[in-house]
This record gives sequence, structure tokens and C-alpha cells, in this order.
Amino acid sequence: MDGRTFFRTFRDGGDKNGMTELVRLTDVTKVYQGGITGALNGVSVAVEKGEFTAIMGPSGSGKSTMLNLVAGVDRPTSGSVVVGGTELGQLGETGLARFRRDHIGFVFQFFYLLPNLTALENVLIPAQLKGNPASGRARELMERLGIIDIASRYPARLSGGQQQRVAIARALINKPTLLLADEPTGALDTRSGEQVMELLSELHRDGQTILLVTHDAKLATRHAARVLSVIDGKIVDDARLESSELAASDVIRVRGEEASR
Amino acid sequence: MSLKYGVLGLLKGEPLHGYEVKNRFEGMLGGTWDVNIGQIYTTLQRLERDGLVRPVGSRGDRGKQLYELSPDGEKALDHWLAQPDSGPQQLHEDIYVKLLLATRIANGDLKGMLARQKRAYLQRLRDLNRLEEGARRDGRIDLARLVRGALLHTEADLKWMDELSSERFGTEGTKTE
Repeated sequence: MDGRTFFRTFRDGGDKNGMTELVRLTDVTKVYQGGITGALNGVSVAVEKGEFTAIMGPSGSGKSTMLNLVAGVDRPTSGSVVVGGTELGQLGETGLARFRRDHIGFVFQFFYLLPNLTALENVLIPAQLKGNPASGRARELMERLGIIDIASRYPARLSGGQQQRVAIARALINKPTLLLADEPTGALDTRSGEQVMELLSELHRDGQTILLVTHDAKLATRHAARVLSVIDGKIVDDARLESSELAASDVIRVRGEEASR
Repeated sequence: MSLKYGVLGLLKGEPLHGYEVKNRFEGMLGGTWDVNIGQIYTTLQRLERDGLVRPVGSRGDRGKQLYELSPDGEKALDHWLAQPDSGPQQLHEDIYVKLLLATRIANGDLKGMLARQKRAYLQRLRDLNRLEEGARRDGRIDLARLVRGALLHTEADLKWMDELSSERFGTEGTKTE
């Protein structure tokens, strides 16, 4: 075992220096009637404020279920889910709805924009539910996400990448404590997908805590420094990756042979 | 992979000195293949002996000699470029043999081995991603392309670890469970 490997292993379980815990799952199980797909089987994990964490695993492994439990759109069969100090299990339906509105921004694979509202109106929905006009913030966000020019268009007239950016603006309008993204690039072409991920990275650099579900290891490791691997409803690995600048020759060796005689 | 054809390829188009060949070779591969100037000179001498390159003019100051492709050299290069890389797949890394042995050895800890290897691949993906970003930022398109190939390879390695970790492929017939 070399020094680097040891250091990584040593950091397992979290390095809490100066960090604040934002999410904690403890012994969480989720059983679905009629099948085991997406079930969780004893998941315990904590996420710190400001982290960009990727959750990876094959389809049906339970990774989206984890996200839904953290978002408060689903309840665990057993175990506890604490977000920002609030035990979600103690909230009733109204309390959960308020929690989601005030603390969670959610971005999905298929955008889920309302077709009969303009891009700007879609962005404003969560703010209006909160009784907060916020159109200044909406325009600011749309400016920043490069979609201000299409603010008055309807979703059907937007590309997939534009729709996803509208969905991200909508997710951010109430300044959520936690941004959750479930395969946000899954319905996009490579280029738009990269742009959306760049955007998430920028938000993270500005301090946004992000939990990303993806099956794309290239994207996950490019943007998230922490990767949780979920298989069959369990977290099988919690990797905190290093971000050192390395020379090309430290990362790749093309194998050469002596010139043939 | 042969330095011979690398040198021939770089000489296509314009004559070069030995050290120019070395610099261009390293520029193209971004330092991922370390060649020393001695290897370049030896290769050029062999290519000259075989009639694939020929000296241009006489040795300049400090003994620098320009070389160009001969018609035979052009033919050899074109032939090599047109040949697909076939033949046995090269698997260089220890992990292939480690895995097979771990399934045979009591306490081989196959699962632990897979988990550690998977994590090493994740770190490699992250390192490659950063390298690709840097290469694109610096306009080093050759290196960026090479890194992209390495990224996709590593992604496949990672999928292999996941497959081996699943019941069907991994723990079947092992003594470790």
C-alpha cells in the first residue's frame, strides 16, 4: 500500500474538520411492496455542508430512493433521515411539504416543466408557493444560467439543455440548503450534459451542497470529490477522491518498445 | 508500439533533425511516452540503414543532420497506418492475474480486492478528467484525445469490477465467502 492509498483509506468515514453535517441517514431501510427494485437495506451515511457527492450504482440499486428520502418525497420503512437538523420522520405531510419547499431543490432527468407556463413562470413556481415574488432573483438566476433570452418561451420551444437549465433555475429559486439531481444529464446529448454539469460545479464552488445520482462514472468523478457506490440497496464504498494536479506521465504511460531491428 | 513508425510519421511532410523529432514526439504524446534522444538517433540510423529515411544535405553546425522520408519509407508508413491493430489484446496490469489468484487462495479477500481496485479506478478517472481539462485548456488536442481514450478504458475497467462484485460473476466458486 503506497502513501496515497493509505491516506485515502485513513480518511474513510469522513473528515469533519471545520465542516457542518447537513444530512444524516441512520440504518435506513426502504421496502417496496411487490418487488425489491430500488429498495434500501440498512444505509447509514452523512453528508457535510458544501460537499458535492455523487451516488453511483446500477439501475434498481436504490440510489434514486436515497435521494427521494433525503428530499422528503418518500418516507423510509425504518431508520432515520435528518436534514439540516430536522428529523424528517417527525414531520407530517404539511411539514414535509414546507421542508421541501424551503430546503430542497430537485432536478430530474426529464425536467418536468409545466408546458403551459413560460420558462420564467416555471422558475417562479416554488417562490410563488412560498408567497415570495422573487422575479428579480429569477431573472438574475436565468441570466447566470444563460437562459435569460428565452425567459418568455414555452418549454416546447426549448432544447433539452435549455429546459434542464430552466429546471435548475427553478430548483434554486428558493435558495435551497440542498440541491438534489437525479441523472440530470440522462436525457441530454453529450455537449448539453457537460454544460449542465459545469453549471452544477460552478454552483458547488459558490458553496452549494449537491447530491448527484448518476450511472456515469466519468461525469461523477469529474465533478464530485466524493463518490458513494450503491449496490443492492447498500453503500458498498464511500470514496473521497483527491484533486491534485498531476503531470500527464503520472496518469498515463504509453508503452513503447525499442525500434525493431 | 514501435518508435520506428512514430519517427516515420513525424518525418512525413517535412525533414527534421533528431532533436526536433524528439520534441514533436513528446509534444504529441504529452510526456506519456518518455523517449531519450539516444533512442531517436539509434532509430534514425536504423531507418537510414534500411532505406526508409535519408539524410538531407550535409551535417550542419554542431553535427545536426536533417532526415526525410524515402519513397520506401512513405510506403512503409502508409502500409502501417492502413493496418488495423489486431492480434491478441494486451492486458498489462497485475489486477487480471491478482483476481484469478484471489478466487483460488483461501482468504484471498476477493470482495475487498474488488472494492479497493474500484476505488483506484475512480481516482484514476478523476485524475484523467483533470488531465483532459488541462489539455483542452492548453489547446493540446493530441493529449486530450489520448486521455479521452484512457478515460473510456478506465470506465470499462470500473464496469468490470462491478460485474465481478455481483453474485453471478464474482463470488461463484470462490473459497472466500
